[in-house]
Amino acid sequence: MPSPPLQLASGLDHEFVDNVLGKQQGRPGALLAILQQVQNHHPRKYLPLETLEYIGARTRIPLARIYSVATFFALFNLEPQGRNTISVCRGTACHTRGSRDLFVKLLMYYGFRTEGDAETDQLVVTTADGNMTLRTVACFGQCALAPVIEVNHAIFGHMNEPTLQRELDALAQQEPRI
Amino acid sequence: MSQQISVRIDNELYTATEGRTILQVAADNGRSIPTLCYLEGLSAPGSCRLCLVEVAGVGRLLPACTTPARSGMSVTTNSDALAHNRLMALELLFIERNHVCSVCVSNGHCELQSMAQRLGMTHVHLPYNFPRLPVDVSHPRFVLDHNRCILCSRCVRVCDEIEGAQVWDISARGINSMLVAELDRPWGEAQSCTSCGKCVQVCPTGALVEKGQAVEEMTKRNRIVTDLAVKRGART
Ligand code: SF4
Ligand code: FES
Ligand code: FES
Repeated sequence: MPSPPLQLASGLDHEFVDNVLGKQQGRPGALLAILQQVQNHHPRKYLPLETLEYIGARTRIPLARIYSVATFFALFNLEPQGRNTISVCRGTACHTRGSRDLFVKLLMYYGFRTEGDAETDQLVVTTADGNMTLRTVACFGQCALAPVIEVNHAIFGHMNEPTLQRELDALAQQEPRI
Repeated sequence: MSQQISVRIDNELYTATEGRTILQVAADNGRSIPTLCYLEGLSAPGSCRLCLVEVAGVGRLLPACTTPARSGMSVTTNSDALAHNRLMALELLFIERNHVCSVCVSNGHCELQSMAQRLGMTHVHLPYNFPRLPVDVSHPRFVLDHNRCILCSRCVRVCDEIEGAQVWDISARGINSMLVAELDRPWGEAQSCTSCGKCVQVCPTGALVEKGQAVEEMTKRNRIVTDLAVKRGART
């Protein structure tokens, strides 16, 4: 049986992964820590399949198990993430206060189709130029501030269309961050 | 020697070996509790909730397949409330994917279908999901039809616990859960698959089947797996 290829996707640092594997080897729950650190190290904050394969070959953790863990937690991305991220809460409180409309506005602003997609409760989309990732979140735990939107790690409560537009304009002004 | 305990099941008093589950004690004494995810010889995930029973003094229902029988326990395996619960669990399985018996290779030999007959299910009370799901025909001998999968994880467990190949797992969660081979590869490309076919034999529905079968032709022999597990010393 041919052994799986031991190369990494571009953008991933072989030595870094080996280092993480060495430190975590044998620890209970090692896989979570490995995946988290490796993802954080990737400039596009994701786990390429080749990387998962490499981790599997090195740790002897079955590939299906790795895939299962990587898809169970919303924290892990299997697709390259945008340089900016906007997360819209689709929890009950935020939904009743109009988070769906805000999300649809965002989808339209960045040129995504809005039918169907806006209905799914779990959605992550990234623009083709890699500038922006839009994602839905189940609940930020800030329901009193509904509707809640997170723009690049800044949380905005009581979000409305004008404020959102102001943030979008500000993002558009920015130098593209690499 | 393990200790003997006495357990009451549906008002009959039975002697049992400590450590055996309610399901096993019931089975040892000729009482059958409905099950779907459980398969003798494999570990019990307790996920389908069909085997729920009432235990006197416990304020919630417990899965018989994972609950050890304890001395002095009084178990009820049949009541109106339990029947209602089981039907509900079964209906939810039916509406989740596309279970169309009339065109299924496993029609007449399907554990999901026979469970519906056994529990007297005549229709479902909720709208069907009708998800669009793929069929993986990449393996030279077998087919995986996600439309018929109930995510019982028997295939995952048999591949891990008996065959040792660890090809399968369940990805994502909730309504998005899907059975995957390796990193969500086409099954035929999964290098860890030994093509032993054990997953096919234990799959309760027509989700995993042999190629070349027509409607109603696919019969399964999950007994092979149980016997193998017993030979290797599984506690059954
Ligand atoms: S393919 Fe069959 S055995 Fe595997 S999880 Fe689905 S229903 Fe269960
Ligand atoms: S529902 Fe949006 S923060 Fe809780
Ligand atoms: S058989 Fe007990 S939960 Fe499925």
